[in-house]
Amino acid sequence: MGWHGCLALWCAVFGALALLGYGRSLAGVTRAQRAVRVTGRIERVREPRHGSSGSDGIPVVVSFQDPSTGQEFTVTNDGEHGDRVSTAWTGREIGIRYPPGRPHAFKFTGDLQAGRRGLGGPNCAVFLVYAGLVALAAVDWGWPWALLGFGGPWTLCGVCYLPQNASELSRRIDTLSSSGGVPGRVVAVLRDVRTDEDGHTTTSDTPVVAFTTHEGTAVTAYCSSGLPDPAGSYGRDVTIHYSPADPAVFTADLAAEHRSRTSDLAWGVVALLIGVAALVVGAVMV
Amino acid sequence: MTITTGTPPKPGIQPRPGTSLTLARGLVTGGVIGTSLAALVVGAVVNSGPLFGTGSGLAAGYGLLCFLGVRRQRDREAAVAPRTALAMIESMDATTGEPSDVPVRFDLSVVPDDAPGFRVEITQAINRVDLPDYRPRGVLVVQYPPDRPWRARIVKRPTPEWEDRVAGARLDTVPGPAVARESQEGCSFGLVALVGLLLGAAAVVLLFRADLFAQDTAALPPSAAQPSVSVSSTWSSTVETSASGTVTLGPGQSFLDQGELRRAVDSLTKGRGTRQALTVVVQDRLLSIVFTPTPTGTQALQFDPGSLPYERFPALVQEAVTTLGVHSPQTWQLSVDRLTGSLTIRIGVTGPGGSASLEADGQGRVVRRSPVG
Repeated sequence: MGWHGCLALWCAVFGALALLGYGRSLAGVTRAQRAVRVTGRIERVREPRHGSSGSDGIPVVVSFQDPSTGQEFTVTNDGEHGDRVSTAWTGREIGIRYPPGRPHAFKFTGDLQAGRRGLGGPNCAVFLVYAGLVALAAVDWGWPWALLGFGGPWTLCGVCYLPQNASELSRRIDTLSSSGGVPGRVVAVLRDVRTDEDGHTTTSDTPVVAFTTHEGTAVTAYCSSGLPDPAGSYGRDVTIHYSPADPAVFTADLAAEHRSRTSDLAWGVVALLIGVAALVVGAVMV
Repeated sequence: MTITTGTPPKPGIQPRPGTSLTLARGLVTGGVIGTSLAALVVGAVVNSGPLFGTGSGLAAGYGLLCFLGVRRQRDREAAVAPRTALAMIESMDATTGEPSDVPVRFDLSVVPDDAPGFRVEITQAINRVDLPDYRPRGVLVVQYPPDRPWRARIVKRPTPEWEDRVAGARLDTVPGPAVARESQEGCSFGLVALVGLLLGAAAVVLLFRADLFAQDTAALPPSAAQPSVSVSSTWSSTVETSASGTVTLGPGQSFLDQGELRRAVDSLTKGRGTRQALTVVVQDRLLSIVFTPTPTGTQALQFDPGSLPYERFPALVQEAVTTLGVHSPQTWQLSVDRLTGSLTIRIGVTGPGGSASLEADGQGRVVRRSPVG
């Protein structure tokens, strides 16, 4: 079997998988579509212990009701239960999903609407089919077609993403700047130490801040950026700017937000230029 | 609140059913792996497409079946709601040296509300900061699947209700031994799978032993046979595989001699249909041709090695050696390829003063000169 045969088989297999996935999604039988999605409520929040692991999230007690039986459940975020809870306050709503009839297998989710149709797999298969077609074109007609195949979608994504990201960042900074700051305090610094196969150790320190909004909401949240010397920040007093509509949007350093916006935009432009360059070079060489 | 246990209970665990089924599954799994691997290898050696395809299909099909089976089993296991119970630490042994999460081996007395208590040994990673919370005779909360209690795990963040129960609990030791772990099945499963693997491979080899061992090496395609080596009476040697061919001349001979190059190329291509080449490289006494793997592969780069203007090669080499400013040339190399789209003949000449090159088209007409300097 030559190149053509292999690539044709590749495209056929992933094309069939994509069709199967889209068919299942249309029929409404994917796992994601069958999952029960409910909104839970955080009943209690505890400050994490200083020095403990950051991977467990902020300790919370959550209650939710199974719509099929009406039974109330009270659970905690112990062990592997979906998304890490990184910002919490009593009364905050939190997404929960689980397979039908299995509320004990609940998972926390930050976005209840994400992945509702179960199209992640089929979309991935379509991408692999596209990659196979680009490889086929590159083998048959020359490598510049690989540049065109890569540069086209990359540039399209960049063109769509860049303005959207820019306006989102601007909106975020405007919101944070307009709100008056409130005092906060670093109540813990969580430390995760990982050692790779070569014996190299990586340490990650995540400060946890606690602050009370003007509306009286006591928020406990991971503050992974904006604090200088995070490892030594335990007990430090900070000023928190937050969005009154959603205290999960906050910062401990407005200036850092501005810097972050600039670097984000710069990276977006560089990525877009790479795509355009690939397109131009590919078009010239074809 | 005190929770005590009555008479020393049995672990409360039913023996795992289907042990013989598990062993049979191991045998089949090993058999399929052995059969498919042997089919792939034997299919490649005897050049049998159907056998090769059967091996691949068998492996893929059984892999898919296993995947679906494992997924179904996990679904079944996940459908069972875990049981939550109080437990007491009988002993614990923490591994030292870990920087963050420390694996700790716990010996626990587990006391469920509505089932007999049992002993279990588990190992769980505990963050170094949280280690002081765990001490012998301490009470904690565990969760376990009712049918697999050896998979118990400590609940580090119990609900308020269970926190209250822990605060007021005093438990008695449950007599051992600890409940059996399912890993005891693993050894026999592996052994049976190995037997199945060997049986499957042996079956395929035996079935195709005639093709394997009675194969005439000369009749084998170059890919399945050893590279063929021949030495002619005029002291030139030829080494051939399915992907390349090399002819080396003996002392006193040269590929610039009249007709020598054409003869050598013909010896590599004659009687093998239309073999397409990717590159042809010629030095004074060495000819090397890289062939395309299949006649249809990489069409944009391939060319017929028999169609090259070999009669022009000596003149082109002579021109490169004498007109490009390389004084006392020591080596030359001629290469032919279609990397740039059209057929290109390049002659590189190297001497003490530097290198130079000359390019010609598919008809042997000079199109570019790159002199020294």
